[in-house]
Amino acid sequence: MLIETGDLRMVYQVGATPVHALTGVAITVDHGEFVVITGASGSGKSTLLNLLGCLERPSGGWYRLEGKQVEALDDDQLSRFRNQKIGFVFQTFNLIPQYNVVENVELPLIYRGVEKGARRARSLKILEQVGLGDKIEHRPSELSGGEAQRVAIARALAVEPVLLLADEPTGNLDSRTGTGIMELFSDLNRQGATVILVTHSQEVAGYGRRTIEMRDGRIIHDSATGENQRC
Amino acid sequence: MLNLGDTIAMSVKGLVQHRLRTLLSTLGIIFGVAAVISMMSVGEGARRAAIAQIKLLGTNNIRIRELPLAGKELEKAGPRYGRGLTHDDASLLRQGIPVRSVTFAPLKISAADVRHGGRQGGANVIGTSPEYAAITDFRVAAGRFLSPLDLADNKTVCVLGAEIKEELFGRGDAIDAELRIGDGWYTVVGVMEPKQLYQGKTPILKLRNINRDVYVPINTALWRFPAGRDPFAINEIAIRVADERNILDVVRLAREVLDRQHRGVGDYEIIIPEELLAQARETQRLFNMVIGAIAGISLVVGGIGIMNIMLANVSERTREIGVRRAIGARQKDIMLQFLIETVLVCLAGGVIGILLGFAMGGLISLYAKWETAFSLAGVLAAFGTAAAVGIVFGLFPARRAARLDPVQALRL
Ligand SMILES: Nc1ncnc2c1ncn2[C@@H]1O[C@H](COP(=O)(O)OP(=O)(O)OP(=O)(O)O)[C@@H](O)[C@H]1O
Ligand SMILES: [Mg+2]
Repeated sequence: MLIETGDLRMVYQVGATPVHALTGVAITVDHGEFVVITGASGSGKSTLLNLLGCLERPSGGWYRLEGKQVEALDDDQLSRFRNQKIGFVFQTFNLIPQYNVVENVELPLIYRGVEKGARRARSLKILEQVGLGDKIEHRPSELSGGEAQRVAIARALAVEPVLLLADEPTGNLDSRTGTGIMELFSDLNRQGATVILVTHSQEVAGYGRRTIEMRDGRIIHDSATGENQRC
Repeated sequence: MLNLGDTIAMSVKGLVQHRLRTLLSTLGIIFGVAAVISMMSVGEGARRAAIAQIKLLGTNNIRIRELPLAGKELEKAGPRYGRGLTHDDASLLRQGIPVRSVTFAPLKISAADVRHGGRQGGANVIGTSPEYAAITDFRVAAGRFLSPLDLADNKTVCVLGAEIKEELFGRGDAIDAELRIGDGWYTVVGVMEPKQLYQGKTPILKLRNINRDVYVPINTALWRFPAGRDPFAINEIAIRVADERNILDVVRLAREVLDRQHRGVGDYEIIIPEELLAQARETQRLFNMVIGAIAGISLVVGGIGIMNIMLANVSERTREIGVRRAIGARQKDIMLQFLIETVLVCLAGGVIGILLGFAMGGLISLYAKWETAFSLAGVLAAFGTAAAVGIVFGLFPARRAARLDPVQALRL
């Protein structure tokens, strides 16, 4: 099993009031799955994705990624873990403006300490794969939204992650461009990548092979089990 | 893991985004470093000036100079004891200092015109003894220096400095020529080698142009160029102490002898090479304090300015920091990146400051007539200071960047 969690909880302190963003999530995801998470705004989708992406530690519960107990890792180990296992794709692309396309893709490999020639070669290959082989010298500001998101996906793929996480990757794109991006995710999944994707759009959700719906920090429906968790 | 070269490359990329803002933020560093550099180059200039003069005087040499008294001091000393140096003093010193290998030469210096054929030139006529050449390491290029016999017989012979010889004789031979000094006739017995002069602008001692010296026997000078006030008045006594370690003893003995002879009247001064250096340092001290204070203040103010800019930089780039953290940058990687950015900004300011400092040093030597000199230590100190300011004031923004919560940073 790639992902196993039990009773995952996340509480944020806003002033004196605790905000319960996740109130007990149990989920398992296997290698090669394509999971789409939907739910109302504020239902905890991003919070869950960030936890699965090892960006922060849960307030309670447990999380094993490839059998490794994530909540026990310290900050440096979490960073290492993200660098080696996770590829993030964001709604707003989040490319680094002072870097050109290929430099953006190389960045995770720099943090991994991959030597210059090797990381350049790998980045160029991935850019070719996402259809941007001809734009490697462009600045992020010179790209269309769809192109920028392809670069972001290439950056996520650069480290050959075991898990590709995307938080509303088509949220800032028109529907035709969004379709292109979703087809790319589908392709990657067919080639073996495990994808977990958050979206509001029913159309986008249709690309998933498994759908999870959230409400108030809980999973209320999971198409894999077919059962509604306690509400 | 991330290597240093890549981190530096990242930092450089981060900086070039806001060139103007970054440059402006370094103004404090620029002026601080410029102040340090100009201070050091003035200091180095003064030190070199002192050393150059000491070399010219000879490191093993002591000079005793007359200090003309005036007004009240003269009245108090009385005419008998305010005479300044005399030829007798030189003889007394010779007898009164039983240290081995010490050589003495009296100097009586008068300005006079020297004439030969149709040509003439202004010269320093130096009445002295044969030892003077050895004391000062001046060498003759042709003929000989003054001899004991010249002295004993009050001969009217002279030895010409290179420049004055050139003026009167050109490339021709001067030995045995007869020429006029003031209103007497002299025979040339020697010509000196040209001597490299100290060209600096900051003489601690005013030195005459020795290439315009004309040496005559001391006794001859005493009767041919009477000083008016005292027939035996001389201007200077040059002393060479073969062994450097004896210098202070000789000075002490000389002072005893002269004070006894002069009844404690301070109408002479003893100049020791060491003291010249000390004097140079003293001249520097006040200047250094003022400039040092300015430099310190500019560096602190500059550092705070840079810290401000870097804090703004960090908050503008919060999202970038979040992304870097998400793709695997550790806190220390972020920390190092921003710290290096600050240090680079400061070093850039340092480079500009160094250039400005040299320009300022140039202006100082132009207008204040102070000597300035390039000092490697100054440049290194400036770089060190700039880097230190960068580290000290970069630490806080870098820490703030590193401590950002990745999730928060990405939400913004
Ligand atoms: N850092 C935080 N501090 C305080 N509250 C937070 C924080 N992060 C999330 N929350 C709260 O937790 C809840 C879940 O937020 P989350 O971002 O996971 O929702 P979401 O499902 O992604 O919503 P959206 O569809 O609008 O992106 C919300 O009520 C949100 O206000
Ligand atoms: Mg969200």
